[in-house]
Amino acid sequence: MAAPQTLPQFFLENCRRYGDRIAMREKDRGVWKRYTWRDYYERVKNLSLFLVKMGLGRGDKVAVIGENTPEIYWTEMAVQAAGGALVGIFSDCNPEEVKFFVNHADATFIFAHDQEQVDKVLEAKDDMPQLKKAVYWDPKGLWNYQDPLLISIEEALALGLSYSEEHPDYFEKLVSDGRADDIAVIIFTSGTTGRPKAAMISQAGLISSARGFSEVDGYGPQDNYLSFVPVAWITEQLLGVAGSILSGFVVNFPESAETVNENIRELGASILFFSPRQWESINRMIQSKILDTSWLKKKVYHFCLPVGLKVADLRLERKNIGTGLKFLHWLSQWLALRNLRDNLGLKFLRVGYTAGSAVSPDILRFFQAVGVNIKQIYGSSEMGLVTAHRDGEIRPETSGRPLPGVEVSLSEEGEILVKNPGMCVGYYKDDQAFARKFRDGWYCSGDYGYIDEEGHLIVVDRMDDLRSLGRGRKFSPQYPEVRLRFSPYIKEVLVVGDEKHNYPCCLVNIDLDNVGRWAETNRIAYTTLADLSQKPEVLELIRKEIWKINKTLPEEARLVKFLNMVKEFDADEAELTRTRKLRRSFLEERYRELIEALYSGQDELEVKTSIEYRDGRKGTMTRRVKICTI
Amino acid sequence: MVGQPLLEVQNLKLAFGGHLALADVSFELFPEEILGLIGPNGAGKTSVLNSITMFYHPQEGKISFKGKEITGLRPHQIARIGIARTFQHIELFSGLTVLQNLMVGRHVRMKSGPLASSLFFGKARREEIRHREMVEDIIDLLELEAIRDKLVGSLPYGQRKRVDLGRALAMEPELLLLDEPLAGMNVEEKEDMVRFIMDIFELKKVSVILVEHDMGVVMDIVNRLVVLDFGSKIAEGRPGEIKNNETVIRAYLGSSEA
Repeated sequence: MAAPQTLPQFFLENCRRYGDRIAMREKDRGVWKRYTWRDYYERVKNLSLFLVKMGLGRGDKVAVIGENTPEIYWTEMAVQAAGGALVGIFSDCNPEEVKFFVNHADATFIFAHDQEQVDKVLEAKDDMPQLKKAVYWDPKGLWNYQDPLLISIEEALALGLSYSEEHPDYFEKLVSDGRADDIAVIIFTSGTTGRPKAAMISQAGLISSARGFSEVDGYGPQDNYLSFVPVAWITEQLLGVAGSILSGFVVNFPESAETVNENIRELGASILFFSPRQWESINRMIQSKILDTSWLKKKVYHFCLPVGLKVADLRLERKNIGTGLKFLHWLSQWLALRNLRDNLGLKFLRVGYTAGSAVSPDILRFFQAVGVNIKQIYGSSEMGLVTAHRDGEIRPETSGRPLPGVEVSLSEEGEILVKNPGMCVGYYKDDQAFARKFRDGWYCSGDYGYIDEEGHLIVVDRMDDLRSLGRGRKFSPQYPEVRLRFSPYIKEVLVVGDEKHNYPCCLVNIDLDNVGRWAETNRIAYTTLADLSQKPEVLELIRKEIWKINKTLPEEARLVKFLNMVKEFDADEAELTRTRKLRRSFLEERYRELIEALYSGQDELEVKTSIEYRDGRKGTMTRRVKICTI
Repeated sequence: MVGQPLLEVQNLKLAFGGHLALADVSFELFPEEILGLIGPNGAGKTSVLNSITMFYHPQEGKISFKGKEITGLRPHQIARIGIARTFQHIELFSGLTVLQNLMVGRHVRMKSGPLASSLFFGKARREEIRHREMVEDIIDLLELEAIRDKLVGSLPYGQRKRVDLGRALAMEPELLLLDEPLAGMNVEEKEDMVRFIMDIFELKKVSVILVEHDMGVVMDIVNRLVVLDFGSKIAEGRPGEIKNNETVIRAYLGSSEA
């Protein structure tokens, strides 16, 4: 047989080679259930034949919406084995969004996890006439649903099984017809600017990017990966799906979204991917727990952490660590740091990745100090994987060096340009928009950055998000935002500034849990987020946090005024993308009044905000918001 | 829904000294039916539930379950025959975990005696595994995985109510008495709770008597309603009929959220 060039072909090879080894685990009803490669093979085969029998043709698309479970991986392999492409939809999308994604991608099948997702499909079904079947796999609540569009995965597998008995080697034939340039997945880009676009990624693209990962951090069948990042995200496709098929590591699925951290501990995961927000929230949780703990524990922590930080810094600069410091480091590990890692479930972690938006270097340093091998990677749905930190070169400010085969350069305006054989092959139904992204054969990333002397790439911000302050100075709002979020009290922050003014200001979302706890310790009574955010003590607390960060910023970029928002930025109101990136232009327009007030010299402003509740009802809230100088 | 009634309450009279809590209350509950029991505060709804479970001893009246009279039985015997209830104020063991509380709910179904259980060989062990499986199914149904090992005392009110529901379910009842399961919850928690109640109803085919104040929910999910006021039944019928019933509206004195 020819060398494998598609993921399904690699998959078949693994099944032959690994047979009875564990391929996946799922925690179900309190117990970790196992699937061997053989089990995996049976399910993929039957699902694939079912789809073909129902009319799935080569090049057709199948949408998937739900939490990460083994069924999603089976679906992806089944679809790709039949020459189709998987379209991932974020599980918190509403029916309108589901309709958009399904129709834009021309999906003819949809796999919906459970009652919640099925309800969305059924609500929008009249506007998605091309759907042949909707397959669900968690039957809870669906017992009395009669819609002919629906079919359970059990039934689908049974139909596929009977088909396979009639046509014994058909599945293998389907797989062998696969080609490297078959489209494997369609990833919708995050849509921080305008409507999301459908990036098409070929089999070759997935494979070459996944290989890039393995080359940086060799994985093997003994590694354990916890899959909880949605498959609609490129990272899960590269690291989870493609990575597991190419390296053969075990993919583990958590019991529920709430138990992810506990499950990581139980598994002793060796490979993990967390978005910068998630690393931040782990750090935030640690910081707030330390604030809460006994005097002795606080002292120990504040002794050990600086030692860890010092050692991490020295290692980075490849300097020698003196014996005295070595001893202190050993002591710190033993006293606190190792247990901290264990508590977080990161004891067996070989490598933890982060990517997606800028990460505060303090976060990277913090985790390296605690002994967690955290690395940055840089890439996008369109570009694939571009750069990654190699072991021994993990500099907190950078995103690492380009992967083998990838070229990176800068335009005159400082835009990052990329040439990557593993990148996406185009936007589905939007060739024009895709062509616009290229200049002289280089892909324009839309990110602003620079390359340092050691060839490391530093990504500063999106080109579109760069702002100019008065007197024409460029500044990046993301830079201070990322650093401000390092504070446990600041959950989200929008930094604003434009040519009309000479200095930036910011709108802060306080972290209700941590600030609430702080308020309780300091005997400040409060009712809601809106109330807490305007308390004078809280304003002072936030002011101090901003002041700390201000000191590290260049003078012209220092923040001068701020206000605490009375309600959080919300993805359901389109203020954030589903991956929790700020939709800057939208926010600047929506809160124009607040922003003007910040610059106007007023002390406070009465605001009416409109809110949309989860069930679609709308309401308004009137509040006085105070404006403070830093 | 037709055929032999599952539960028959006849001429129930309950008095505490001079105070008459229930005066001549009668109604029937059929299999696979959700019966709503509503009325202003103090109307006697919880007294009805307490009488069914024989926590209170009515002075007069007869209660039959599946054709057999149960008046005069002790509460633990009531539990054994397939009637379970949740409590307004949640009667769980706060020092035990969620999982342990649910396993305690399996008590009525445990067959191994104390000696066999403490030695934990063969049959006792297999039985324990079966009970654990059943409890895990409930945990899965009520989405309690994340708090499985947490002490009940440390949980917020809304979660404790869910655990209480799980404990009642663990008894594998044929009749479930829910005493204000939505009290003290916000909109989101209520929606979840109603979804669970409906899931339970559809999956386990239990009959339910629902005591509840949220009229929107009650009108939506019950098959029939019994309305009490000052210990007497003032109306009975389908939600549509009760909504416009003069007597009922007057009893609530203008708080007609129906």
